[in-house]
Amino acid sequence: MSDVRIKFINDPANITAELLEGYVLAYADKVKLGGENIVVRAHAKSDDKVAIVTLGGAGHEPALSGFVGQGMLDASVVGDIFAAPGAQRLFQALQMFQREAGILLVVLNHSGDVMSANMACQMAERAGIKVKQLMTHDDISAGIDLPIDDRRGLAGCVPLFKVLGAASEEGKSLDELLEIGNRFNDNIATLAVATHSCTHPQNNAIIAELPAGVMEIGMGQHGEGGGGRQPMLSADETAEIMINLLLKQLKPAAGAKMMLIINGVGATTQMELNIIYRKAHKVLEAKGYQVVASRIQEILTVQEQAGFQMIAGLMDDDHINYYYKQADAPYWTTIG
Amino acid sequence: MNTLTTDNFRAMLQRAYACIKAREDEFSKLDAITGDGDHGTAIVSAFSAAIKASEKDADFKTMLNDMGFAIMMETSGSTSTLLGAFFLGMSNGCAGNELDANGVKALFNGGLANVRKQTKADVGDKTMMDALIPAVKAMDDCSSDDIADLLSAAAKAAKKSAEDTIDMIAKFGRARNYGERSKGSMDSGAASWATMFGAFAG
Repeated sequence: MSDVRIKFINDPANITAELLEGYVLAYADKVKLGGENIVVRAHAKSDDKVAIVTLGGAGHEPALSGFVGQGMLDASVVGDIFAAPGAQRLFQALQMFQREAGILLVVLNHSGDVMSANMACQMAERAGIKVKQLMTHDDISAGIDLPIDDRRGLAGCVPLFKVLGAASEEGKSLDELLEIGNRFNDNIATLAVATHSCTHPQNNAIIAELPAGVMEIGMGQHGEGGGGRQPMLSADETAEIMINLLLKQLKPAAGAKMMLIINGVGATTQMELNIIYRKAHKVLEAKGYQVVASRIQEILTVQEQAGFQMIAGLMDDDHINYYYKQADAPYWTTIG
Repeated sequence: MNTLTTDNFRAMLQRAYACIKAREDEFSKLDAITGDGDHGTAIVSAFSAAIKASEKDADFKTMLNDMGFAIMMETSGSTSTLLGAFFLGMSNGCAGNELDANGVKALFNGGLANVRKQTKADVGDKTMMDALIPAVKAMDDCSSDDIADLLSAAAKAAKKSAEDTIDMIAKFGRARNYGERSKGSMDSGAASWATMFGAFAG
């Protein structure tokens, strides 16, 4: 049974501040705090390029601040555990990155984040700050081909940061970045599975308890139920079900070039993630698709939730090019 | 009252703040039934930031804009985002320093339109929208040229609709997880917004 009493924390009220402090101390060559709960690059990108900014609650480390760095994000605005940062702090970050080239604000579709982003952008507009929003909605747990508003943003935002960051370093305009990002978003899908839910590290609340031996396909990144509870299956069986659901959404053309990422959400071992990846990759190959970008890594975690997110995408040559450009964030490095 | 001036509106705000402050604990207790129990504190601190900003000498439109900004800059959370959006939206809808009945309707419709951009909640979802939407609709439906009539129609509609939330099942926010258990008490946001409209009417 998970329990905050087995977690190495101090005062629960200070978790977010302390985890960010530790993070920027450890990676001081790449990131620093630009303000309270605002992580920025240690060496800022030049002002003539569009700034890429995102926001989201803490408790998902290394996301989202782990991807602040050269060739990826310029800033991550952090809320308290599982909570949106609030419009005020976000507006502060937008003021900090005000520039003629503009700011692209990447928002994961979660109601609190969306609300903060809408309000901060409204304030920014009144203050003459050029900013546009790009919403991510990669989750398909609510169903295939649903309107994007009904789909949450999961870990698919991370490869999106990679692509946008590279395109922005190249000097693409705000509108060009929006187009590149939307094209990536429309061709990416994520599905999560959990075998053990998480506790909220500040109040010990168990979010959606799962009985032993049961897995839930579609569980969100705060433990919210996705509906697909079933008895636990083997790695191969689970991977096959999930990759086939993702393919149903993506509808790849014959021989399509694809991205496949397995994201561990906290309590599932790298050993298991490798085994899952193996099967999903083989299914794609057997169907004649070409895996051109791949990764097995904890990129967005959910405390001690066990399980993973499987992220698949259709990659065009433009996206492949940006995916392999140089990046140097603490949790994503590409030599380029 | 044939026109609403900046000073009239300042007086309305002061009344609303006093009435909300008087019921602060009640709103928090209602919120604690299905939420984190901070709605009373949140709405009072948001309103207090707005009041402070409204005391500066400014035209009507600027004053409303500054109130919205002050709420957003000094407080955080969904309560303040929604109230901040309301005043910013009223600023959008505000045309002049002396508003006639149609001007007042445009003012409140501007507020509602901007809150709608922040939340998809509608009437029947057991949120503050259960007070706001019927209040603005009642103003629109009121054919009187007397602004006092508009405000009192809004107050009446907001009060009745907030009371209707007692029998509703929450469909938004954290309260949604309580399902049937969310029945039996008034939504805290509907209660505080209805209080505001009640105080606006005097």
